[in-house]
Amino acid sequence: MLYSTFYLGETKMAVPIPAILEIGRSFKFHSVRGSPEVIDGLINLRGKVVTVINSGMAFGGERVLSADDSRIFIFKNNSELREVADSDFEMETAPDNIGIHVDRIADVIRVEKEELQAVPSNMIHPFYKFVVRRDDSFIIILEPAKILNLNENEDLLS
Amino acid sequence: MSETKAIKFNIYNPIITYEHRAAYDMIVSHLQEIFPICNQGKCKALEVSDDPQKQKQINDLMEKVEFFSNSLITITKVFFDQLYRAKETSSQSISQSTAMIKIDMIERNLLERTCDVRWWALEKAFWQCITLANKQKASKTTDTTKAHGDLKNAVDLACTRLEDIRNSYTLYRDLVIVDLDGRVIANSNEERREEVLGMNVASEDWFQKALQTKDGTEYFVQDVSSSKLEGMESLIYSTALRADGDEQGKVIGAMGVLFDFQGESQIILNDYLPVSEAGETMDNWFSFFTNKAGRVICSSDESFIPSGELADLPRSHRNLKNSGETHVSTAAVCGNRSLIVSRKSEGFDEYKGLDWTSHLVLPESAMFARSLENEDYGISPQELMNSKLIPDTNKKTYQEIQRNKGDIQLISINGIILATDLGKAGTSFIPIFDQITTTGNSTTGKMEELLSEMSSDMLQQNLMALENFSKQAIDLIDRNLFERAADVRWWSTDHACWEALQSATDGNFEEAAKRLGIINASYTMYRDLVIADSNGRIVANSKSENRDKLKRMNVSEQSWFRQGMQISRSVQFGVQDVCNSELENEETSLIYCGGILENGQREGKVLGVLGIFFDWENLVSPILEGCLPRIKGKVVHGGAAFYVNDERKVIATTDHENFAIGQTVDLPNENLSLNAGESASGIFSANDKKYIIGSSKTQGYREYEGLGWTAHVVRPID
Repeated sequence: MLYSTFYLGETKMAVPIPAILEIGRSFKFHSVRGSPEVIDGLINLRGKVVTVINSGMAFGGERVLSADDSRIFIFKNNSELREVADSDFEMETAPDNIGIHVDRIADVIRVEKEELQAVPSNMIHPFYKFVVRRDDSFIIILEPAKILNLNENEDLLS
Repeated sequence: MSETKAIKFNIYNPIITYEHRAAYDMIVSHLQEIFPICNQGKCKALEVSDDPQKQKQINDLMEKVEFFSNSLITITKVFFDQLYRAKETSSQSISQSTAMIKIDMIERNLLERTCDVRWWALEKAFWQCITLANKQKASKTTDTTKAHGDLKNAVDLACTRLEDIRNSYTLYRDLVIVDLDGRVIANSNEERREEVLGMNVASEDWFQKALQTKDGTEYFVQDVSSSKLEGMESLIYSTALRADGDEQGKVIGAMGVLFDFQGESQIILNDYLPVSEAGETMDNWFSFFTNKAGRVICSSDESFIPSGELADLPRSHRNLKNSGETHVSTAAVCGNRSLIVSRKSEGFDEYKGLDWTSHLVLPESAMFARSLENEDYGISPQELMNSKLIPDTNKKTYQEIQRNKGDIQLISINGIILATDLGKAGTSFIPIFDQITTTGNSTTGKMEELLSEMSSDMLQQNLMALENFSKQAIDLIDRNLFERAADVRWWSTDHACWEALQSATDGNFEEAAKRLGIINASYTMYRDLVIADSNGRIVANSKSENRDKLKRMNVSEQSWFRQGMQISRSVQFGVQDVCNSELENEETSLIYCGGILENGQREGKVLGVLGIFFDWENLVSPILEGCLPRIKGKVVHGGAAFYVNDERKVIATTDHENFAIGQTVDLPNENLSLNAGESASGIFSANDKKYIIGSSKTQGYREYEGLGWTAHVVRPID
């Protein structure tokens, strides 16, 4: 499967391409009073309302700020995901379109099933699904459903 | 694009280096390859999906890619244009300042010569000698052996004094005194004496104009031309000799001094020209001066640009009209395409100059050559790119390239997302988008590489400019202090000095003080001149307002006095480095000294010391100010120039806040541990700022050996 990668600090992470609706830049955020800090705001994607999560805050680090390099991964909602042609994978995102604001995106990688390795026990994190080795480095494959359904993770919302 | 200037860049221009032509070809051909790929993508969209919305999405993406590729092709041209413009501008700016430095150096020197000739004409031995010669000629009846003997003695003394001048000031080929008929009575050059004495120069311009001077403040300078006095072309300064050495007195003769213009110019012209490992000036680099008529008067390469000939330059370079005017152009010189920079003299201080022009010629290719030095200055390419050294317009291009690179990457990934949504049918798009990403990365990567090259070249050129400024700063002070060293040696032999010490009477002290007063009034760079007797007691000084204070002082423990008392020959002098002096209540004092010898002889018993106190700040500030880094004539914000002594302490500065006097500045070791005459540059941090720096260590000048000082010129880059 193809994955689109991005950096969070020095850590390279990846999300499956079929789960992505689009990657965009320079959206205008509409802030919502009372929304948790981890939410950057709402954006308007060709009429669709998309909630954008700040990846830096979601991982308990520094807020990702809008800059030349920063991008927003906008994920398909569950029903859009099911419409993907010839889909032979089982994946969930969220009932709504959700975006993740990241510092900078990197390349697209192809990962074969046998390359996927379990997350080492001392690195367990609710958003991590697998680890992939590339050359001398590691790429963390994220579980979109976990990061996109923050309402299931009260710690982050508090 | 913010770039509004017309693009001059043309890949076929011979100045474009092979490497850049290859890089340009690579970038443009790769970007051109994207268009058929996009067409392929548009066709595939029709093949793999019947959904018009999907087809449109893919078409839109392909068009966006085409748009950004086109935009990158345009930016590439702009970028190369900027790359070459930046190098051209920077190179021209350095060449202009070099041409200016050269004419400035010679002008400053010529100003000193005008002071010299006026002062020497007041010497007792000269006017006495001419008075006797005139007298003897006028009264033929008193043509006695005694009168002959008196005149011979006077001529001998005049020759001796002229020799003393020539020994103290080693810049002259000869000095002559001439009676009203134009007959040479005495000269300084012993080797030519037999030939020169008795020679009649009445027809020469310098002699006639000297007789026409109104008073002792006037002088005449005869531009480089031939004279009977010597075989080579001469630059002659002249003024009238007046009765009783009185500035307003009746004209009784003339004095002419023949400046070693060619020797001095050769030093200046050969400076700042790049040399090969064998120490030879690099091919096709020339530096020369032309006179008002556009004829070469001295050249760094007499074989190609011979003196006396009309300069092989476009007319516009030979006919500069206004003083201080600069003209820059490219043309063929000696068969080679060259950058020519011409700078017309603007004189210096009261010296109006002779309308000379300084020309610097360098191969056009040298402007664009890559710097051979690849030193690691501990600054990242990114940091350098964002520094103040890089013009804003280049930074904008860099940002634009980055943005386009990001856009192409984004389009590719979104294309892959779209292709994935099409399932198996969409997989044929993946290689298309992969190729777009690869091309986008390789072309923008190459451009980043070139930008990094440009910023590193800009750094090198700026470092070179600062090195040149620091060299200018140390050269100017060395040359100035050489003149002062010559002054003090000569003045120490003045009759008023040794007479006051040999016969210590109030009248003689008064006479000496008067004489020192006249000297000080002729110059602007001295605070005071004092005579101390062998016990260190000050017996006379030039400024009457200091007299009472100085009379109470004893200087026997002071370094300048002790150095002076060791002197036994008139060609020697001593100097007390810049320090805090009680004598003057000044933080920075520089004191020169000469030994006053018995009977004013060249060698003998020392009777006391002549000390001259510099108005250090006044002397040094204009020099340092003139060596500050500038962009389009304006001093770079935060730029500073300063001298440090051999204890690494600042002794003069233009920036009293960041590089204050007395402060030990923490500079890179390479900039502090220079050998005499060496220059270096680098990057260092101080006062929470990052600076680039150029430094040059004194190599002295002629008899002045230098005091181990180093000049530093800095500018902040962040």
